[in-house]
Amino acid sequence: MDLNFTPEEQAFRQEIRAWVAQNLPKDISHKVHNALHLTKDDMQRWAKILGKQGWHGWAWPKQFGGPGWNVIQRHLFEEECALAGAPRVVPFGPVMVAPVIMAFGSPEQQKRHLPGIMSGEVWWSQGYSEPGSGSDLASVKCRAERQGDKYIVNGQKTWTTLGQYGDWIFCLVRTDTSGKPQTGISFLLIDMKSPGVSVRPIIMLDGGHEVNEVWFDNVEVPAENLVGEENKGWTYAKHLLAHERTNIADVNRAKRELERLKRIAKAEGVYEDTRFRDEIAKLEVDAVALEMMVLRVLSAEKSGKAALDVAGLLKIRGSEIQQRYTELMMLAAGPYSVPFVKEAMEAGWQGDYVGAAHCAPLAATYFNYRKTTIYGGSNEVQRNIVSATVLGS
Amino acid sequence: MDFDFTEDQESLRDAVRRWVDKGFSFERRHAIAKAGGATREVYGELAELGLTALAIPEAQGGMGFGPIEAMVVNEELGRGLVNAPYAHAAIVAPTLLSAAPAELQAQWLPKIADASALVVLAHQERAARYRLNHVTTKATKAGNGWTLSGAKSLVPAGDEADAFIVPARTAGADADAAGIALFLVAKGAQGLAVRAYPTQDGARAAEITLANTPATLIALDALPLLEQAVDAGIAAICAEAVGVMDKLVAITAEYMNTRKQFGVPIASFQALRHRIADVKMQLELARSMSYYASLKLGEAAPVRRRAIAQAKYQLGQSMRFVGQQCIQLHGGIGVTDEYAGSHYFKRLTVLEMTFGDSLHQLGEVSARMQDTAGVFA
Repeated sequence: MDLNFTPEEQAFRQEIRAWVAQNLPKDISHKVHNALHLTKDDMQRWAKILGKQGWHGWAWPKQFGGPGWNVIQRHLFEEECALAGAPRVVPFGPVMVAPVIMAFGSPEQQKRHLPGIMSGEVWWSQGYSEPGSGSDLASVKCRAERQGDKYIVNGQKTWTTLGQYGDWIFCLVRTDTSGKPQTGISFLLIDMKSPGVSVRPIIMLDGGHEVNEVWFDNVEVPAENLVGEENKGWTYAKHLLAHERTNIADVNRAKRELERLKRIAKAEGVYEDTRFRDEIAKLEVDAVALEMMVLRVLSAEKSGKAALDVAGLLKIRGSEIQQRYTELMMLAAGPYSVPFVKEAMEAGWQGDYVGAAHCAPLAATYFNYRKTTIYGGSNEVQRNIVSATVLGS
Repeated sequence: MDFDFTEDQESLRDAVRRWVDKGFSFERRHAIAKAGGATREVYGELAELGLTALAIPEAQGGMGFGPIEAMVVNEELGRGLVNAPYAHAAIVAPTLLSAAPAELQAQWLPKIADASALVVLAHQERAARYRLNHVTTKATKAGNGWTLSGAKSLVPAGDEADAFIVPARTAGADADAAGIALFLVAKGAQGLAVRAYPTQDGARAAEITLANTPATLIALDALPLLEQAVDAGIAAICAEAVGVMDKLVAITAEYMNTRKQFGVPIASFQALRHRIADVKMQLELARSMSYYASLKLGEAAPVRRRAIAQAKYQLGQSMRFVGQQCIQLHGGIGVTDEYAGSHYFKRLTVLEMTFGDSLHQLGEVSARMQDTAGVFA
C-alpha cells in the first residue's frame, strides 16, 4: 500500500499542470472560480483548446486518436483541470457517446463522428429521458420506424442538457414493442438540423436555461445512423453507464469548491464561528473520504485485481457533497444570498453588488444543484443498486 | 498510489482469520465476557501467532512490521470481535517505549513481543476527557529515580497488566503542553492500587491510584510522543472498527435474506434496502478513512494529526450509524444479549469513545483546517 503517486505519475501531473496554466484562458477560469455564467463560447473555446491538443477525449485509446492514458493519468488530468478552474467538459460527446461508437459503431460511424467530437467542433446532446421515462428509462416511447433505408422518428425527449447548442443527439428510441421493454430499444444518432426536430427551453428554478425538451415530428434518420444492432440499444446504454465510474463522484471539483467555501466564509465573517466552521470541517472529512474511495477504485482498476463495486456509492456521496457545499456557501452569505440580480452573475458586470460580488450566484447555484441527486440515475435508484450488491439480490 | 495488499500481508490476514474461525467462536467470547472479561489467555494465543511481536523492532525480538500489517491484523481481530487489548498493548505501548532508554527497551520490549509481559498506557484522567495534554498526576524527583502521585482511569486490562506507562507532570499547569513526562510503573509497585471492573464491550479496565509510587522515566517532555503513539492506536482501532462493521453488515444482510415477514424475506422491502445501502456507504467511507489513517501515520506531526483526526471522525460517525442501523434492521432479536450482533454494536460504541469521540475529533479537524482540502492538500 502506498498513498503516493509514482515519480512518473507526479511528473505527468506537473506536465498537465503547466499545460493547463499555459492554455486555460484566464477569463474562463475566473468565471469558474467565481461561479459566474459560462456561455456556449466559453465552453466550446475550452473544448477546442483541449481538442487541438488531442485531449478533449482524454479517456480515449490511441487507436481512436486519444492519448491512451491509464486510469491514474486520466484522474490526474481531471484533477489538474478542475483545480485550475477549467469548465467541466460537456460530457455527452467525448465521455458518453464516443465510447459507444468506439465499442459498437461501424468503422464508417467512427470515422464520421469521432474526429468532430475530439476536436470540440461538433456539440452532442443526450436523448434519454422522456416525460414518462425518468428512473424507469427502459420504458422509453419515442418511436423509430424503419422505412426502407431510413427511420422515421416521432416522440419527445426531455431534460436535454444544453440541447439548445446541440448539433447531434444520441437517442434511445423504441423500435419494438412486442417483448420486454429493454429488448425493443435502439441507439440512434440524429442530426439535430434534420427537419422535424424542435428544441424548446425548460427554465429551471434558478432562472437558467440549461435543459430542454426535444421534439421529433416525422424526423427522417438514415438507417446508417443506427449504432450496432436494432433492439440492442439498452445493452449499449448500460455499457455507457459502466464507463461512467470515478468521475461521477466529481471529487476534484468538490476540493476546489471547498477552497471557495472557505474564502466566502472568511469574507462573511463566519469562518471563526465554531458552529459554522465545524460544518465546513465535516464536509472536508466527507471530501477526503470520498477522494480515498475514488483512489481505491482507481488503484483496483490499475492493478486489474478485483474491481470495487462502489460506483453507486460514488454517485450518491459525490452529489450529496456537491449539494452541501452550495448550501454552506449560501448560508455563509446568509441574507445576502437573497437578492436575485441576474446580471450580477455575469463576468465583468459594472453595477453595484448587494453585499459583495461573491454573494450574487450563491442561491442560484444552490437551487441549481438540487439536480445532482436526481440526474444520472436518482440517488434512490442508486440505493436500489447498492442494496443489491450488499444483499446479493 | 496503490491499495493492494502484498502476498505476505494477505497471508497474515489469513492466519488471523483462521485462528478466529477455529479458536475464537462467539460462544467462547461470550463466556469470557460473562466471566468478567479477563483475556490474558486469549492474548497469549495472539502471541503464539506472533501478533504481539508485530510492531516491535527485530532487534528487540519483534517482527518490525509497519502500520499496514497492523491494520490488517486489527481488521481481522475486529471481525472476530476479539476482546483482548491488542491495540493498547501491542501497538501503543511499544510505540511509547521506542523512545525509552536502551536498557528499559531491552528489559521490556522482548517480553511484550512474546506476551510474557502485558504493558498498557494509563493516561486517562477524570477531568481530561480526550485531551492528552491534560495531566495532573505529579512526578517528583526522588534520588536517582522518580515517584508519581495521582490517579488514572479506564486503564485497559488494568488488573491483568504487568506494567503501566503513565504520563505525569514534571512541571507546568494542568493543561500545559510542556512538562509532561512518561514513566513506566511496574505491577506491585509501592503505593499502586488497582481497582478493576468489566466494561460494556466484554473486556476489563481499571482505576489506578499512585501514591508516591516509584517509577522509571521513559522520556521527558513527551507529549509529542504520546500523541504519536495514540495516533498509532487510533489507526489501529479504526482498522478494528472496519472489521467489526464488515462482519456486522454481513450478519445483517444474511438476516435480511432469511427473516420473513408478510410471507417474504424482509430484504425485499425498499425501506430496508435503502437503509442497508446507507449502511454500506458508511462502511466503505470508514474503510477508506481507515486506510488513510494507517497510510498517514508516518507523516510529520501536523499532517499526521489532521489526517488521524479526520479518519477517527469518519470512523466515529460510521460506527454509530452502522451499529444503530444494523440493530434496527434486526428488529427484536437485535436487542437481545444472546444475539452476536448486539455485541458488535457494543464494541463499536466503545471504540467510538476510545482515544477521542466524534465531537472531539471534529474539534481537532476544525482547528487544523487549511485553505486547501483533500488527500493531497
